[in-house]
Amino acid sequence: MQAVESEAMVTEDIRNWMHARLWYQVPMSISVIDRDYKIVEANPHFARSYGDWQDRSCHEVYKGLSQRCANCAAAKTFADGLVREREELGVIRGGKQTHYLVHMIPLIGEGGRISHIVEMSTDITGVKLLEQEKLDAERLAAVGQTVAGLAHGVKNLLMGIDGGMYMLQSGIERGDASRLVDGWEMLKEDMARMTSFVKEFLEFAKGRTPEVRSVDPNQPAREVLSLFRDTAKLKGIEIRANLPKSIPKAFMDKEGIHTCLANLVSNALDACEVSDKPHRNVVISTDEREGTLVFEVADDGVGIDYEIRKKIFANFFSTKATGKGTGLGLLTTRKIVQEHGGTVSFDSTEGAGSVFRLEFPRDRLPRPTEDEAPKDKKSPPSPAP
Amino acid sequence: MIQSQPGKKKILVLDDEPHVVTYLQTLLQDNGYETVSASNGKEGMEKVRSEEVDLVCLDISMPEESGVRFYRNLKDDSRRSATPVVIITAVTGYGGDSEPFKQFISTRKQVPPPEAFLSKPIDKQEFLDTIARLLS
Repeated sequence: MQAVESEAMVTEDIRNWMHARLWYQVPMSISVIDRDYKIVEANPHFARSYGDWQDRSCHEVYKGLSQRCANCAAAKTFADGLVREREELGVIRGGKQTHYLVHMIPLIGEGGRISHIVEMSTDITGVKLLEQEKLDAERLAAVGQTVAGLAHGVKNLLMGIDGGMYMLQSGIERGDASRLVDGWEMLKEDMARMTSFVKEFLEFAKGRTPEVRSVDPNQPAREVLSLFRDTAKLKGIEIRANLPKSIPKAFMDKEGIHTCLANLVSNALDACEVSDKPHRNVVISTDEREGTLVFEVADDGVGIDYEIRKKIFANFFSTKATGKGTGLGLLTTRKIVQEHGGTVSFDSTEGAGSVFRLEFPRDRLPRPTEDEAPKDKKSPPSPAP
Repeated sequence: MIQSQPGKKKILVLDDEPHVVTYLQTLLQDNGYETVSASNGKEGMEKVRSEEVDLVCLDISMPEESGVRFYRNLKDDSRRSATPVVIITAVTGYGGDSEPFKQFISTRKQVPPPEAFLSKPIDKQEFLDTIARLLS
């Protein structure tokens, strides 16, 4: 009797063929580990990338470690059955360091217990390199702008000093005592301004080494609120914070973020102080929007007119009275935010107020200074095979 | 040697730095010119309209209204567009070449480029020679 090939058998064949193609040809490394973290199966791409895997554990092959990784994601998946995604640093054949994105998928065995985990990893070293190059380019551009701004500030001061010298020289030539006094005052003031300008610029250029730790984003916001509460009260301005009860921690330089928020709040208070509205407010807020951590400082002060909006991030640009503003506050803020891979933006309406916004995409935040492992990105568990 | 200029031509010194204004006004007065001053573009336009000035010494970076906007407004005003302008600025980033900046300042409103461009700190003799040439 001739065997009749059923539809189900054909489907099964196709599925097997597809699985085989996936296993042998997919351009990513796939391995299966058991509960002792031993690799029990691996595809050819894995062997090509990481070398011999027989009778070896995942931490040994991926990272060259003799013991399980600290904060082992596989252990967590064995415990809770969640699918995980994580960026890791490993070592491929030839000892070259590599960035890879690994997905961990639990396999359910007899009795509903997780017996194995499939680890699927993609080499993202090229992407990481491009990201780093982009960040470096942004930093270099910021340095270039700063140098141009320094030259601008120095040239203006030199012109003032030239003026003082002209007044002195022509005062001597004409025997004009009042011109001598004016010239001497100009020189004294410009020398003092030059000294303070250079000091501030050096502070700005030197900066400080960022200490990146896992930080509750609400914490620097609360600290800045507390720092400015008395000043605001004295000026008759209400300052408050609008913070969600819980917001995921982020790898940031807390002191740097504190400086940024303090600069923005100080500007917001100034904008309110010169407004003649009876009730003036400054609000600090934090929020999480589609993988981006957002800080905002809003005020209902005088707002910013078009001309000033255009050059608000120009170096050493200040609208404040001489001696009050250095023109470095927003520049410093932008520098710190850029070091965190973030951006600064603002909306402003003349006469109505301004909102300054610091946005930090979480996947661009810096790596921690201390040995803190990154947080897992969790997905719901996959159905049992 | 600085030469005095005969006649009493009126020059507007437009700069937000008080010391620069004092310097340029004193230098110009010492060389036979009459001067008025303003510290931003808006105030500058008011002075141009009320004082009938013969020449403007113009700074670029100023609060409230910049020198760029002042320049475009002046050159767009048919009654005053012939008033020569000497730009005196610390704006950098053009490698010392003033041409790209002159083009930038004049393109938006299709106005002619400024008559002269000097970089801060100025050379006194070059400044006075430029003024004398433009007012001759």
